[in-house]
Amino acid sequence: MNEFDTQKDKYITFKSGNEYYGIKIEYVNEIIVYQEITEIPESEDYIKGLINLRGKIIPVVDVRLRFKQKPIEYNDRTCIIVLNVNDIVVGLIVEQIAEVVEIQEENILPPPSIHNTDKVQNIFVQAIGKVGDSVKLLLDPDKLLNDDDLTVLEKVNDENEVEGE
Amino acid sequence: MAEGFNTEGMLDVYLFENGQLLEQLQEIVLEQKDEECFDEDSINEIFRTMHTIKGSSGVMMFENITAVSHKLEDVFFYLRESHPQNVPHMELVEHVLEVADFITNEMDKLQNGQQADGDATEILASIDKFLNSIKGGKREKEKIIEKNVHEEPKQFYLAPMATDASRFYKIYLTYQPDIQLANVHAYKIVYSLKEIAEDLLFYPEDILTNESSAEEILENGFKILLQAQASEEELREIMQEGYDLKKVDIYECTGNEFLQGFDSFGSEIRIDLESSVEEIEAKAEAEEGKEKAKEKSKEKPIAPGDFVIESKGPGKAKKLAKDNPKKTEKTSFISVDVNKMDKLMDLIGELVISESVVLQNPDLKVPGLRLDNFHKAAGQMAKISTDLQNVIMSMRMVPLTNTFQKMNRIIFDVSRKLGKDVEFEMVGEHTEVDKNIIEHISDPLMHLVRNAVDHGIESNEERAAKGKTEKGKVTLSAKTESGKVWISVKDNGAGLDRDKILAKARKQGILDYTRDDNSYTDKEVYQFITLPGFSTNEKVTEYSGRGVGMDVVVSNLQSVGGSLEIESTPGQGSVMNLKIPLTLAIIDGIVMEVGNSSFVIETGVVKEFVGIRDNRLVQEPNGEEFIMIRGEGYPVLRLGEWYDLKDYKADTEDGMLVLVEVEKKTICLLVDRLLGKQEIVVKPIPEYVKKVKGLSGCTQLGDGSIALILDAAGLVE
Repeated sequence: MNEFDTQKDKYITFKSGNEYYGIKIEYVNEIIVYQEITEIPESEDYIKGLINLRGKIIPVVDVRLRFKQKPIEYNDRTCIIVLNVNDIVVGLIVEQIAEVVEIQEENILPPPSIHNTDKVQNIFVQAIGKVGDSVKLLLDPDKLLNDDDLTVLEKVNDENEVEGE
Repeated sequence: MAEGFNTEGMLDVYLFENGQLLEQLQEIVLEQKDEECFDEDSINEIFRTMHTIKGSSGVMMFENITAVSHKLEDVFFYLRESHPQNVPHMELVEHVLEVADFITNEMDKLQNGQQADGDATEILASIDKFLNSIKGGKREKEKIIEKNVHEEPKQFYLAPMATDASRFYKIYLTYQPDIQLANVHAYKIVYSLKEIAEDLLFYPEDILTNESSAEEILENGFKILLQAQASEEELREIMQEGYDLKKVDIYECTGNEFLQGFDSFGSEIRIDLESSVEEIEAKAEAEEGKEKAKEKSKEKPIAPGDFVIESKGPGKAKKLAKDNPKKTEKTSFISVDVNKMDKLMDLIGELVISESVVLQNPDLKVPGLRLDNFHKAAGQMAKISTDLQNVIMSMRMVPLTNTFQKMNRIIFDVSRKLGKDVEFEMVGEHTEVDKNIIEHISDPLMHLVRNAVDHGIESNEERAAKGKTEKGKVTLSAKTESGKVWISVKDNGAGLDRDKILAKARKQGILDYTRDDNSYTDKEVYQFITLPGFSTNEKVTEYSGRGVGMDVVVSNLQSVGGSLEIESTPGQGSVMNLKIPLTLAIIDGIVMEVGNSSFVIETGVVKEFVGIRDNRLVQEPNGEEFIMIRGEGYPVLRLGEWYDLKDYKADTEDGMLVLVEVEKKTICLLVDRLLGKQEIVVKPIPEYVKKVKGLSGCTQLGDGSIALILDAAGLVE
């Protein structure tokens, strides 16, 4: 119980493009440096492949591709955040890890309406967190990893880039 | 005992241990169900099993289980000590199984957090009846004798092997008044005294058969007359005053007093003093004679209520009527949490990787280094880690014996209920299969075996009418061949009725109307019975006929990569062949490289490797390619193209063709190069990634990189 208390309201933030994103720290197993990825043929393009995490093979997702942003070259700042969402362990490739911040509930706002924008990332954004002057986009890890919301995404974007199961 | 005692941790252990004991018990029982009687080892084993279960259940305060196991223990105690003749063996087998089922059932309840509240009275009563019946008329006579204590001294002697050093003792045991099952406690003492006793008698002597003797012991104490070479201290050592024994009184006495028996203890039994000495001595002699006779033929007539405790004569093996020399060596097992095993496997995998990191460390490449000793040590280390890998892999392999034994039980039950006379035979039950797979095939096997007995084998009358002389028989066999386990369930029953199946299939609209009935091969027709909702049995029985079953069998098998083939000869029976991969965890594979990716394919399906010198590929207009090898054309699959990989060698002359044969179909895979052959640990592709056609898993190679495992069957499609 104590553990949850200390993790409460804490978010790990990372930078992707110009925005900072946050994920609740309780979903995060660990952060590792980028390592060689084995590609899996015929899989969704945002699934970069598999990595060997100390004997455990886990899939990795490139967050930029997931957001339908242009991929960038990986460099030595590229990190993999290992997430555990409902026992599904997935690595998330991010450009750069920022920091761990504490965002109180009163500073969390509902996400902007989906209709005003055609940006895909909105369906992944659960809420907006204010930290001082800056704003972090708080992600819903479940949506981030799973394609259940694909229909919504397709409706919104009317595009077929992502192949569902 | 301790109320409110925390039994939670103990419950797990209790359930686990007794579960195993019961499994063993059934195994023993079924192994000898067709014999005339149990052999001595089995009787002892069953007795011990029941004793252990009784003991632990007592501690856990599961009274019904305690009572039932106690009752069965009584039966086997009687069998063990009195060697009765003409025990209805089948009835006994049923009683044992009944008890085992009862306890299993209760334990299931406990496992699910319920109370063990099953009603044991019926079982107790039936076993009681059985026990009385095997004791036969003797029992009644005994009762009469009990009433007429004065007429016949109730002392039963073994040949006293008195030597000068022998001493005679009268022992008087007083139990704590609140002790449960005092008779059992008393028996424990008798049992341990037996080890040293030259002669031993006790009162009340019906401690194990008569529940009420417990009260008598509590009231009047338990009396033992003992002739032994042990000193009083040694005796006290055996009968330690403890939580159960309140007081132990030991009096040394003379041989004469000894022969006078219990009367000097008190007035409960009065013995006709005048006749006793001669009579007893005569009796003792007679017993001695009998003892010798017994060694030759085991047909010792047992006197009424004769409760002989045999002293351990030198070289005298106790034997029952049936001497069964077959004694299977029991391997001792320790059960380990599968998660720990997986963890160990992962760790070993990592060890292998770090090993290669060390051995191929760039630091070693510095010119001018002398590495002779390093390489020697490295070689040794590599050997050990290979051994380690082999051990962990073999640890996952479990013989099919247990699974087969369970089937034995099913056949026994079903055939008894259906009144069919069915024999069971196991072949190759020691074949080892990965534990995960065993878990998956247990249910399918059960269905098949049930079907075989229920549908396959005809009733006794039908068999007689058909002139089949031999008994109905179900054969379960297992063998390993070309990296697969083949399990077959064979019966010598009626076989499948092709016409009936076809008719039924037509009714259900499965048949293709454009095809003639005769155009269906037998195999195709038999395959219909694996479709959901398909049963040719007219009437639904307790065991089968609802049409669920075969489709479940097939889907279960498919989930572990297995398949089912059906063969049948009308009138002679049918064979269900299950083909199952040996293991899901480790396969022997060929590692190959295409572009930047590594792939592994199971060695078993690879027919040959062909290097192509000149361009012998034939391209069809639709883009499909063929290659002619020794006059035969095989389709070619360019892996790099197929999976849209980067940097693969487009020129076939640079690559290597791998001929893969699955179920008589052959294709050629074009890969860049072969890396080698190795045992690989199969890991599933994480579920998060959707299933890719032709890939069955992934694995970690020695250098820590990941290779994808090709599913040959999927590729051939």
